[in-house]
Amino acid sequence: MLEWSTAGPAVGAAFLASIVEVVEAFTIVLVVATLRGWKPAVLGTGAALAVLAAVVVILGPLLDRVPLNLLQLVIGVLLLLFGIGWLRKASLRAGGVIPLHDEDAIFAKETAELCTEVQRHKSSQDWIAGIAAFKAVLLEGLEVIFIVIAVGAGRGLLWPASLGALAACVLVLLIGAIAHRPLARVPENTLKFGVGVMLSAFGVFWTGEGLGVDWPGHDLALFVFAALFLVAGLVAARMVRQPIKEVTI
Amino acid sequence: MNILKDVLLELFSMFVADARLTAAILAIVVIAALVIDATDLSPLVGGVFLLVGCITVLFLSVRREANRRTAQSTQAAAE
Repeated sequence: MLEWSTAGPAVGAAFLASIVEVVEAFTIVLVVATLRGWKPAVLGTGAALAVLAAVVVILGPLLDRVPLNLLQLVIGVLLLLFGIGWLRKASLRAGGVIPLHDEDAIFAKETAELCTEVQRHKSSQDWIAGIAAFKAVLLEGLEVIFIVIAVGAGRGLLWPASLGALAACVLVLLIGAIAHRPLARVPENTLKFGVGVMLSAFGVFWTGEGLGVDWPGHDLALFVFAALFLVAGLVAARMVRQPIKEVTI
Repeated sequence: MNILKDVLLELFSMFVADARLTAAILAIVVIAALVIDATDLSPLVGGVFLLVGCITVLFLSVRREANRRTAQSTQAAAE
C-alpha cells in the first residue's frame, strides 16, 4: 500500500528537480530549433532519450540485486552530496553572493556559441546542432534519472517518482510549446532551494536508515528534516545577504 | 569521446561541486557510522549527529564561500 507521507515528498522532489533540469535542457533544444529548425533538435533529443531509456533499462534490474541497507546508504550519501550542494548554491544565490540563473541570458549565449561552431564547420551544420541538443538532453536527463532513483529506490517508489518527473517534462513541454521561448519566468532559484531542502532531508533519512538508525516517527521524520534544512538554508542566506546580482549563465 | 568526457564530468560535478564540502559531508557520515557501530550509544545518537553535522557543514560552507568571494571583490576593487 502506498503511503503518502513517503510518496508525497518523493513525487514532489522528483517533480520539482525535474522541472529545473528540463527547463535547462529545453533552452538548448530551443536554441537548436531556432537556429537550424526542428529536425536536428528533435533528432538530437530523440537520440538522447533513447540513451537515457537504455540506462534505465540496464540500471533498473541491477538495483533489485543490491541489499536494501547498502542501497539506502549509498543513495543517501550521494543525495547528501547532491542536495547540500544545491542548497548551498541556492542559499548563496538567495543571499546575493552569486548571481541568479537567467534562461534568457543562457539562450543568447548558447545561440552565439552554436552560431560560431556552425560557421566553423559549414558542411555539417545540422549535425552539430543535433549533437548540441543530444548533449543537453543527455546531461540534464542523467540528473533527472539520478534524482528519480535516489528518492524512489529506497522504498519501492520508483514508479511514483518517475511519474513526478514525467509530469514535469510534460508541463515544461506544454508551456514551452505555447510560449515558444526560453522559460525565463520559472523561479529557478526558489525551485532549487526547495529541491535542495528535500534532497538533503532524503539524504539524512536514507543514510541514517542505511546505517541502522530507526528514526522516531519513521517516514514523518522526513518532514522534520526538511523543515530543519529549510530554516538552515534561509538563515544561511540571510547570514551572508548582499545586494542581489541580476544575471548569470 | 568529447560527449563521454562531458557526461563523466557532469556526473562528477553533480557530487563534487566543492571538494571541501564533499570531504566534510563524507567525514560526518564516517563519524556517524563509527558512533553507531563502534560505541554502545543508541543508533539514534549517530543519526542526530548526522543531521546536525550536515546542517553545520551547510552553514560553514555558505559562510566560507561568501567570505572568499567578498575578499576577492575587495581585492579586485583595491587593485
